[in-house]
Amino acid sequence: MKHMFSFIVCFCLLVPPVVVAETNIMESATPLPGMRGTPLNLPDISVVGVLDGHVSDDKTDSAKDRLELSDVETAFQGYIYPEMRADVFLAIHRHDGEYEAEICEAKASFLHLADGLGGEAGKIHVNFGKLNRIHEHHRPMIDQPLVLTNFFGDHGLVGQGGTLNYLMPLPFFLQFEGGAWRVAGHHPHVSEDVETTQVTDVNGNVVDVAIYEEEPCTEFSLADEVYTGRAKTSFAPTAKSELEIGGSIAQGRGGHYEEHLDKAQVVGADMTFRFWPTAYRRWTFQNEWMHLRREVPVGILHRQGGYSFLQCRLNKYWDVGARFDYADNAFPDKVIERSGSAIVGYHLTETSDLRIQAKRRRVGDDDISEGWVRMTFGIGPHSHELE
Amino acid sequence: MRILALVSLVLTGLLPVCRAESRTLRVVTTSEDLASIVRAVGGDAVSVASLSSGEQDLHLVEPRPSMVMKLKNADVLVKVGMDIDMWVDALISSARNERIFYGAPGYVDASVGVGLLQTPEGKIDGSMGDIHLYGNPHYWLDPVHGKVMARHIAGVLSTLSPERAALFDDRRKRFDAEIDRKLEEWRERLAPLKGTPLVTYHNSWVYFAARFGFEIVGNIEPKPGIPPTPAHLARLVDVMVARGARVILVDPFFPLQGPRAVSERTGARILVVPSSVGGRPGIKTYFDLFDHIVGQLAGA
Repeated sequence: MKHMFSFIVCFCLLVPPVVVAETNIMESATPLPGMRGTPLNLPDISVVGVLDGHVSDDKTDSAKDRLELSDVETAFQGYIYPEMRADVFLAIHRHDGEYEAEICEAKASFLHLADGLGGEAGKIHVNFGKLNRIHEHHRPMIDQPLVLTNFFGDHGLVGQGGTLNYLMPLPFFLQFEGGAWRVAGHHPHVSEDVETTQVTDVNGNVVDVAIYEEEPCTEFSLADEVYTGRAKTSFAPTAKSELEIGGSIAQGRGGHYEEHLDKAQVVGADMTFRFWPTAYRRWTFQNEWMHLRREVPVGILHRQGGYSFLQCRLNKYWDVGARFDYADNAFPDKVIERSGSAIVGYHLTETSDLRIQAKRRRVGDDDISEGWVRMTFGIGPHSHELE
Repeated sequence: MRILALVSLVLTGLLPVCRAESRTLRVVTTSEDLASIVRAVGGDAVSVASLSSGEQDLHLVEPRPSMVMKLKNADVLVKVGMDIDMWVDALISSARNERIFYGAPGYVDASVGVGLLQTPEGKIDGSMGDIHLYGNPHYWLDPVHGKVMARHIAGVLSTLSPERAALFDDRRKRFDAEIDRKLEEWRERLAPLKGTPLVTYHNSWVYFAARFGFEIVGNIEPKPGIPPTPAHLARLVDVMVARGARVILVDPFFPLQGPRAVSERTGARILVVPSSVGGRPGIKTYFDLFDHIVGQLAGA
């Protein structure tokens, strides 16, 4: 009996127990975005790629009839201190036929400086209006609305500096924000393979000089020191709807300030109404309007533009939308552009989707038809702040 | 001077945050299920608001500025966790309320302490569909987990309001007792169905099935979050015929085309069953939810 007991004890000790462990106990809170990296001391790392196809009947469009990788964005996101996080977005994108690397955004965010007060510092997509702050791959459209391109440039208003925002202690949402920035103005891309010619200088020496063709400048953006402000309020008229109203201002210089007098101010207003009739269906009606006041040697220019965007998310995967654009250019020789777009999107995941957009644009008296197809794919935990 | 006094009066009225001591604890939850449990534990000592309704898919709630205001004034945030309500993280940052920041006493992840199913092992990626890193997040559909959540919530409420700790503990015990009593009743009603094979739209009923002895033999979605394809539905029909599955459980927010296509070929009955409090009119508490689910299944 004693031997039998010893045998059973030894058997139990030697033979590992059969574990039918279907369940694991959750021992700590789910880590926040920014705390996901493995090993544990790494930030969240993700990559978003954008593949674009573009067709156009505009003979001067150098990017037409192409299907190419237009953008790859890598993100490194994590907490650097309690209530302080860092988000770095590095991008390689195609510009004028060549790939360029740039810091798309790199910022430290102070989530709680005082009650209701937060801030950000670094290179940031400035919080002006509704769309400027949102990275292109995250927008519900492929191209950028004309008014943003005409007043802020191809990549929108991006500055290096800092911003403070204050959420008012009121029963409804009202937030004020002020920022100071240094903005790189638009510099025309000059090819290194420029033609040269030989001329005789004042000392009688023969020297090589480059030949540049005089081309009218068609791009404008704010530049140098820029100060911005934004107020935004929001109401929920019903449990299934939300109305957001905002006003923005940017004060600074125009991109040509080094060559001549160029003071600029942009004032904007935006209104977004969203309605969720069912769990997945959502209607979005978004509108932005901007006014540019530009002081140049020939006088003071007043230009304006805006867009109106209506979108319906039909179900969990599909959305359809339409956008109407109107925008003046920012130059003394005033040109008005109008366009209408139809947009269809299919969502695979939060960071991966397919989108098609058809657009009819009128510039002055010319009509241009364009179309895009875009596939955006994301790998890893990629997050953006509340839009 | 009078104007100054008037302005001060108005501002005082608008600053509820400044008068924190003598009032009920303000609790915000990400789901109606959690709100129901907080009400059960906190009683009149808490005011509760949920950021989502029971009719919504908790994965895809869109954060809005009006939600920021609820969080700004909250003493406690209770979230489901496990990434099903990740959308609340951006709202917390925007609200700048240090009482509910990650790690603060008022930040409650209700999944802590819960026994999880389908925790992935090894590397996971998009080829597996929308797999959650920390396991299947639909754990509230096991009523026994309701007791774990209630204990966690009662502990946090007691920490924040120690003078009412006995009240919270008493109410928590009554909640537990009610769960135990109802659990017996639900088990009894579902006993004849034990071992019944089920098909569900999404992989959201594993905890419920494990508790009450159902066997889930397939999902309408080929992988979590991936829409059904004709080829997958054809395979599913074969599985259902082979296994004798006669019921398809569908959360109310999912489309019915896929389940109907399968139902037409197998004769299986589609049960549109809410997976959250508020998912159907009249389901106002955590107990109502299970009463409703059990009633529908027992009558199928």
